[in-house]
Amino acid sequence: MNTLDYLLHGFGTALIWYNLLFAFVGVLIGTAVGVLPGIGPMSGVALLIPVTASITGGLPPEQAATSAIILLAGVYYGAMYGGSTTSILLNTPGESSSVVTTLDGYQMAKKGRAGSALSIAAIGSFVAGIVTLIALIALAKPLSDLALKFGPAEYFSLMLLGLGAVSGLAGKSVTKALIMTVSGLLLATIGIDNVSGIGRFTFDIPWLYQGIEFLTIAVGLFALGEVFKTILEKEEEDTQMAKINNLLPSKEELKESAGPIARGSILGFFIGILPGAGATLASFFSYILEKKISKDPSKFGKGAIAGVAAPESANNAASGGAMIPLLTLGIPGSGTTAILMGALMMYNVQPGPLLFEDHPQVAWGLIASMFIGNIMLLILNLPLVKVFAKIIQTPKQYLIPIIIAISIFGVYAVQVSVNDLLLLVGCGLVGYFLNKHDYPIAPLVLGLVLGPMIENNLRRALTISNGDFGPFFTRPISLGFLIMTVLWLVIPVIMKMRGKSVVINEEA
Amino acid sequence: MDIKFDRIAAILFLAVAVLFIIGSRSIASSSYGSVVGPDIFPFFLGIMLAILSIRLFYETFNGKKQEKKNEKLQYKPFLIVLIATLVYILTLESVGYVITTFVFLFVCFQTMERAKWLTSLIIAGCFSGLVYFIFVEVLKGTLPGWPIWF
Repeated sequence: MNTLDYLLHGFGTALIWYNLLFAFVGVLIGTAVGVLPGIGPMSGVALLIPVTASITGGLPPEQAATSAIILLAGVYYGAMYGGSTTSILLNTPGESSSVVTTLDGYQMAKKGRAGSALSIAAIGSFVAGIVTLIALIALAKPLSDLALKFGPAEYFSLMLLGLGAVSGLAGKSVTKALIMTVSGLLLATIGIDNVSGIGRFTFDIPWLYQGIEFLTIAVGLFALGEVFKTILEKEEEDTQMAKINNLLPSKEELKESAGPIARGSILGFFIGILPGAGATLASFFSYILEKKISKDPSKFGKGAIAGVAAPESANNAASGGAMIPLLTLGIPGSGTTAILMGALMMYNVQPGPLLFEDHPQVAWGLIASMFIGNIMLLILNLPLVKVFAKIIQTPKQYLIPIIIAISIFGVYAVQVSVNDLLLLVGCGLVGYFLNKHDYPIAPLVLGLVLGPMIENNLRRALTISNGDFGPFFTRPISLGFLIMTVLWLVIPVIMKMRGKSVVINEEA
Repeated sequence: MDIKFDRIAAILFLAVAVLFIIGSRSIASSSYGSVVGPDIFPFFLGIMLAILSIRLFYETFNGKKQEKKNEKLQYKPFLIVLIATLVYILTLESVGYVITTFVFLFVCFQTMERAKWLTSLIIAGCFSGLVYFIFVEVLKGTLPGWPIWF
């Protein structure tokens, strides 16, 4: 079978009625998550894993995995659409990836062009989504073929690169990010060692035998952490929502934004593939790029449509690009993709080069559903943008307790253990304090997900070489990855020493 | 950067690292057919974490002192919600999902904003009832529904 056949099969899977429903629910919730400032894509996805796990419980394992990942991925890219709405209308970005959009988007809204700004953002996101999907389809096979040639040493170095890249770009201090990464890896060693069957750090407590559940940690650190923050740092805001007049952009505006959308999509896609760099960086860089090549840079910040089109296309393209290393290499490059990977592994589906051979239904079903999901988002966002903008007015007094209730229900439904619930609340508290003091949380979750895989590959490589660390440095691909890891960690530090400001990724 | 928090955190991380290093020494050092045992990975990680936390501690001396932002934290509602959450978790298995969720939500709604108790009652009731109905009746999941003494 060639790629096209697989893709058609994928559409066959994605067009089953319940998968259509899952995609729809996913993008709908994703848009809501994007609009609400308190909840980011990471906590949104983490919160929904247990909920989808219980809904898909009745399906056969592989179909359940497909449906669940369709919904969760929908939340991820849906959030990128939703984030722009509040940036433009209220000057409050719903996500860190739409911060740049406020610069020109809100100015446009002030001048009565909110409708065009919103529709250009939606069109740009759609185009970017489709461009990245085509690139994903084209790259999937060659990349997974290449990855199949990797031995344990290469895999170990590649994962090290992923962890290094995320730590190098996350947060203000590389030391803190590395501490979080190593803590995540250490947490992953708790439980029964799956090579030797020896319990590690379990203190003979049966609850710890299966290890610390990734889901509990992720929901606690992200969702509960943010909830606690909202309660503690209550902000009274009274913002005026801009009026939306005509929704469709004029021909001139379309023509003006075609270039920025194309450039934003391509730039965003490549930034998305890079581990560590995510949607936030992509939107930021594309804005700078547009400003640099523009004939009249003074227009930016005063309502230039290119300043909305480019970053909004870029952040959506980056979220699609981030799926490539996840699906083809099995290495998540950001916090949200790490959570998606954890979700797949809960269904016993291992992302990586073998995904396309072992579970073509999951891989191609997801890709096809992303096509459909993007079309749904475009249709949803253009006429219903006013309805979505209203979501932000959801009273926090009801939203916050319900988020706590959903996290507790979700974790209990999957784990059926009060110990996990206590751990959940503990993680929420720890997450709040860590976040407040600039300890990035995404590297910890990434470490927790990648920990067992890194360890297995390390031990496999060392077993092959009889305990000799040589192969990591003598095999060219492995050495290349290791050098890149070191560069990724060292260069930002050197740049900081020279007094240059380094762009960091607040949340992926 | 809050220097005090970072120093305490650095010491705590160092303690965790040392505990992991000590703990990994008591794990068997080799497994059957391989010279590489289950102890190597946590041992190295422990050492890395120790080095990093010492570095963090060292960095706190170089950090510039920042003026503390005077932010008012809402401790009272937070503590009420936290205690309510803990009570909710600990009574979940004995009193059952429907009642505990209802009480928990109602308490939290009222803590966040003391108004419209009827709306709060209705939303809390709908949420706990609907979740239980959908999960247990429709999806056949397991939840402790009602008090065990029933």
